[in-house]
Amino acid sequence: MRIPLRHKQSHLVVDVHSEGNTYRVNVDGEEHVVEVHILDDTNAVLVVDGQCQRVAIARDGKQRQVAVAGEVYTFSAESGAAMENVASVASPEISAPMPGKVLQVLVRPGDLVEPGDALLLLEAMKMESRLTAEAGGTVAEVRVGDGDMVVGGQVLIVLTYDDAPSEAN
Amino acid sequence: MFRRVLIANRGEIAVRIMRACRELGLETVAVYSEADACAPHVAQADRAVCIGPPPSNESYLNIPRLIDAAQAARAEAVHPGYGFLAENAAFARAVEDAGLVFIGPRPDAIAAMGDKTLARRTVAAAGVPVVPADDDPLGYAGSHRPETGATSEEATLLVAAATRLGYPLLIKAAAGGGGKGMRVVRDAAQLRDAFNAAAREARGAFGDDRLFLERYVERPRHVEVQVLADHHGNVVHLGERECSIQRRHQKLIEETPSPAVDATLRKRMTDAAVAAARSVGYRSAGTVEFLLAPDGAFYFLEMNTRLQVEHPVTELVTGIDLVHAQLRIAAGEHLWLQQEDIIARGHAFECRICAEDPAQEFLPRPGKIVALHEPQGPGVRVDSGIAQGYVVPLYYDPLLAKLCVWGESRDAARRRMIAALKDYVVLGCATGIPFLLDVLEHPAFVGGETHTHFIEDYLRTWTGREHCRTVAVIAAAVDTARQRPTARANHHNDSVLQSPWTTLGHWRLGERG
Repeated sequence: MRIPLRHKQSHLVVDVHSEGNTYRVNVDGEEHVVEVHILDDTNAVLVVDGQCQRVAIARDGKQRQVAVAGEVYTFSAESGAAMENVASVASPEISAPMPGKVLQVLVRPGDLVEPGDALLLLEAMKMESRLTAEAGGTVAEVRVGDGDMVVGGQVLIVLTYDDAPSEAN
Repeated sequence: MFRRVLIANRGEIAVRIMRACRELGLETVAVYSEADACAPHVAQADRAVCIGPPPSNESYLNIPRLIDAAQAARAEAVHPGYGFLAENAAFARAVEDAGLVFIGPRPDAIAAMGDKTLARRTVAAAGVPVVPADDDPLGYAGSHRPETGATSEEATLLVAAATRLGYPLLIKAAAGGGGKGMRVVRDAAQLRDAFNAAAREARGAFGDDRLFLERYVERPRHVEVQVLADHHGNVVHLGERECSIQRRHQKLIEETPSPAVDATLRKRMTDAAVAAARSVGYRSAGTVEFLLAPDGAFYFLEMNTRLQVEHPVTELVTGIDLVHAQLRIAAGEHLWLQQEDIIARGHAFECRICAEDPAQEFLPRPGKIVALHEPQGPGVRVDSGIAQGYVVPLYYDPLLAKLCVWGESRDAARRRMIAALKDYVVLGCATGIPFLLDVLEHPAFVGGETHTHFIEDYLRTWTGREHCRTVAVIAAAVDTARQRPTARANHHNDSVLQSPWTTLGHWRLGERG
């Protein structure tokens, strides 16, 4: 079975062949023999080429977080189509990277912004972060006000970029 | 002794204080904001009182609500923990005025150490070394300067003051904080421009352009001394802690003893700390912070008039429970320890486990703890304020837990810490665990070359630790394969599959072998 995964910027296709509790797994052109011992919903022991490793996995939709030896990896399952489209484009929607409180909205609809311009100050856990424009353009919409509490991923500001990336991309 | 203690705090420190109370047979009262109703510290307490909405200034910083809560729950004493109101003299006074025992120093000692200039003058008078400084290089004594910048006469005065202090030096705003109005000056040629720029910045930030000069200590270590004092004038110290590994001026890893302190230096620093505590008539547990220069000179920085986050490392090497000590001292007991009773054995480290992403400038990352495994074993201690399923609120400090270890030597403790960190699982919110591992394995850290610029110098461009990437990819791929519709054909009616976190019905107990 071919499993397409994304980790950070890299796209991987991993081949997995099941033989009961043992799997043959091909990663980056190298084949590994993997025994899987399930401990509970989250925890398992993998024996990879004879080497035992305890792993913990949390699943959220298409995302998997894997903890191994103090390291944490986030993988997204990908469809084949998404794999073709690897070029990253600036998103016109500026969303909250984490839940928090809007300290100050620095732009108004119609404002022109340059790449790197600060759009909004967001505070979470006593830390202030600054959301900036990834490319030059115009502020189309401001959906929050000073003092609003927002959730992670909530769209705060919508921009129209000068060189609008075409949908066909 | 009082019988019921209200803990005016949250998170791991509230849990830790309640543990000590229970061990001494005292009842505990937790306070919580509306964001913390399900927090572990509430579950630990005998009683719990909601003190208001999530924002700190409406709950954990609200003095009248805390006093009301203490009276409603008929607590007889209040422990402030650290942070929040722990170093607020008005809170300590309000507690005492309400007829309750404040578990900490007297309010005037808190106030005396809270004013940084006054504190420096007080301890200097007691013979404690302070960073050489000139509080008023231009002789304005508090009056505002004209806004035109330093005149040539003033420049001459400045150069003279700077020469007396020696370079490099730091220009600081009297009203300052947060690095605003601050400049490092390395020679006389830079002095005038730096002074004018700092004055402008201070005027803009604080409406007050008074500046002072201070000797700049390059590549300092941050070394602090733990003291314990009773109501009867007895003061002892419990050795030092090194807290040089910091990010954003906040500590990340602490250890004791300091790799830079030998017996002679320890004697001088601990004597100075005891003198500083005596100079304000201190009682309870307190910490005297010093800057330690590469040449072995040390300078008083400030005194923290409370229990310190990193107190467990001192407990691990001395065997003395500092919260027990605070409670017994607050009850009026004479100090039961002589200085010679206090003997440190071995080495201890603490790593702060925070909900933050070291690859993204340590930005906080609140979230839901979906999987948690806390390490254990000989010499391992976890002071934790979280539990599986707990949602880390975004209103408070990102500290989730503290992992502390003891070992016979520094290297034994360091290796034990690495093993414990590798065993630690926190899923659902990012933590600094992978970064902490890279610090602990760094050759400079192994060599004890810790100073406050360590992270900036060695790990500024850190993007992640990926030693086990292949195993992680295999785990993710196999887990995905097991949950593909084809693979789960036999299970599609299994109700377990309906639950959002348990699309994993086929990873089952008993499948092994």
